[in-house]
Amino acid sequence: MRLPSLKGRRLVSALLFAGAALVAGAVIGACTSDEEDQQAQATDQQQQVMQQQDQPQPRAQASGEPRGDTIQLVMDRGTLKCGVKQTQPLFGFRDDQGNVTGFDIEFCKAIAAAVLKDADAVEYVDASDASTRFELLADGQIDILIRTTTITSSRDMELDVDFAQTTFYTGQGFAVRKDSGINSTSDMANAAICVQTGTTTEQNVADHFTDIGLDYEPTGGLSQDVAAAFFEGRCDVLTADASDLASRIVVRDDADDYKILPQIISKEPLAPGVRDYDSDWKDVVNWVVHGLLRAEEIGITQANVAAMAANPPNTEVARLLGVPFGDGEVAALGFDVVDAQFIQRAIAAVGNYGEIYDREIGNAIPRDCTLNALARPLPAEAVDCGPGEGGIMYALPYR
Amino acid sequence: MSTQAPASPPSAGGGLPPDGGVPLIYRRGFRRLVQQGIYVAVTALVAWYVYDSLNLREFGFGFLDDPAAFKVGNQWLTDVDGVTSSRIEMYLVGVWSTLRVVFVAILLSTLVGVIVGVSRLSSNWLVARLAMLYVEIFRNTPLLVQVVLVYAIFLVGAPIIQEVLNIGDFAFVSNRGVAIPWPVPDGGWWGAPDWFVGVWVALLIAFGAFAMSVRAKRQDRERETGQPQFANRWAFGIFAVAALVTFVALGLPVSIDRPFVEGTRYLEGMVIRPEFAALTIGLTLYTGAFNAEIVRGSIQALPRGQSEAANAIGLSGYQRLTLVILPQALRQMIPSITNQYLNVNKNSSLAYAVLYDDLFRVAGIIQNKAGHALEMFFVIIVTYMLISLVISIVMNFINSRVTRVGV
Repeated sequence: MRLPSLKGRRLVSALLFAGAALVAGAVIGACTSDEEDQQAQATDQQQQVMQQQDQPQPRAQASGEPRGDTIQLVMDRGTLKCGVKQTQPLFGFRDDQGNVTGFDIEFCKAIAAAVLKDADAVEYVDASDASTRFELLADGQIDILIRTTTITSSRDMELDVDFAQTTFYTGQGFAVRKDSGINSTSDMANAAICVQTGTTTEQNVADHFTDIGLDYEPTGGLSQDVAAAFFEGRCDVLTADASDLASRIVVRDDADDYKILPQIISKEPLAPGVRDYDSDWKDVVNWVVHGLLRAEEIGITQANVAAMAANPPNTEVARLLGVPFGDGEVAALGFDVVDAQFIQRAIAAVGNYGEIYDREIGNAIPRDCTLNALARPLPAEAVDCGPGEGGIMYALPYR
Repeated sequence: MSTQAPASPPSAGGGLPPDGGVPLIYRRGFRRLVQQGIYVAVTALVAWYVYDSLNLREFGFGFLDDPAAFKVGNQWLTDVDGVTSSRIEMYLVGVWSTLRVVFVAILLSTLVGVIVGVSRLSSNWLVARLAMLYVEIFRNTPLLVQVVLVYAIFLVGAPIIQEVLNIGDFAFVSNRGVAIPWPVPDGGWWGAPDWFVGVWVALLIAFGAFAMSVRAKRQDRERETGQPQFANRWAFGIFAVAALVTFVALGLPVSIDRPFVEGTRYLEGMVIRPEFAALTIGLTLYTGAFNAEIVRGSIQALPRGQSEAANAIGLSGYQRLTLVILPQALRQMIPSITNQYLNVNKNSSLAYAVLYDDLFRVAGIIQNKAGHALEMFFVIIVTYMLISLVISIVMNFINSRVTRVGV
């Protein structure tokens, strides 16, 4: 038997190799799927494979199937991984002793108290860098992002993030030195402006200056870096969320030398972010925030919540705190992922929304007559308001 | 297929079959095929895994054509507003910013390296020790620390713009940057358009080439006759006279733009911004320390006889260095110096720490707006690799010129 020609032998070798590659591929492929399905095969049931898809997965799926179960993940782990800013006084700041404090931090505690029955069961993950915060969330390194993050349409649609109830309404403002003679953006022709990058800020300022037909010279960087450069005199103007500006200025010894212009050029509703396709988790976060707001509206405070729970004055208080009213049952509100008293625990841990506000940022950022104040109860007849004014119908920014 | 038997017995007619009777697995060709096959299969599997797990189905670069909607600072010769321009244009502005820093830092760090490297070998105790102190400080501390420190010194140390340091109405220093005079095209006597300055530049290049050829000719003659021909003086003289004559003949097409301060900003002139300065100075000092060590090592690697021979024929210290030592040391230096140049390119991404809008920061802004982190990092990596490749190609070309014996 003769071997085929040189060309033929190459063909033979190629075929042999192709076979070997196929086998190798199949073996490696099988190993990979073995790993993925290990848990499913342990129970040896086909249906388990379906449930497998409910486990949190690191990346967004192309389809719209529910796939997140962060709340179960948090409960199993026993701690809440909260992605927070650690460089902004008042909102999220790590002090010299390593303690993380601020307005956003209180909501981490409230959610931990609600879900884990322990306000201290929080692991504060540093999400100070604005340009990687959404990756942290999408990759599952944090359960929730509470980090002065603005809801925008493009973030909601493009990124693997879903926004819960807004915790703080602010807008982009400008800080200047009082002796600069600048009173509005129309005085800022060709000004050197320090702009925080990795946020919506730089787009707002670019849009605004296009609209008013002026040019400017931006210097961009991380929030704390551009703030430092501004205070050294590198820029004429510092632009960021008005709340951010207030928090930077209030901690300075020479705070009186600076002012924040009344002009606001954007809407910045700051809200907690969770992963897409995780309704249960988003619901819990949403209703903790609403619960803290409702507690303020109806006068439940950190001090009186225990007494209120022991002896609820009316059915709504009983429902909110998850206790029976009189001889009745605990009202079923349909929360099957958390127990009925989760709001009660949140209030006991951090107080109602107003208490959080006054404690953390009330000194620096006045609340009365701002969007962050409670809406007025419906008056018998409108007195002060022009047509359509005085409420808080608030369209989320389209950008 | 019956012909696939891996090894056939020798045929009855005697002699070896065409394959020499070697079993298939010992044949070199077959082994290579298997090796390459395994390589291809593993690569394909990894690629498939990456594709599958990273959700690359939506992988694409279309988002780079969308409007940028942000503006970057530190632009020079460009004025891209960010509203009408696309993200890719904004990215290219960032690339241009990176290239400027890399170019200037490479030039300055080479200069620093040669001067300090030679100084380290100086017989002057003070000069040698100062050079050693410089090298040890700057190569033993992190570059990030140096860059941030230079920037902080600039921001805190330089006066604010309201108290700007005025150097004879000629240059200004504040923590908004250093403003210096800068040549700009000018209509001159005849009100010519800006491009007219190009004519003068073309003439300068032509006369420069002519001066160099005169210099080469005179050098040759000097070598043949032994009579001094003053080649450098002639070349410089020709060029200077030609430059002056054409400059006047074309009606003074270039004027010097002197900066001045209006309110809180610089007008006219050239403004070196603190961010650019901090990054460039940091890169220069750090890389210069390494370059100095390379220069010193290359000089010390030369046989002592070279210096002794130079002394023996009566060359001065300067002549010994420029005619004998450095040209030979250059061959040793270039491969190591090339590495340092590549490091300058890569280290320029530390712009992130000093608010300089280099390509990495601009890419970060785009990424924050549009997502697509994978694509953006792909673009970033390819850009840095391209810059590195260009540096390598140029340096390899220079290396092949100075290496007389090809390897």
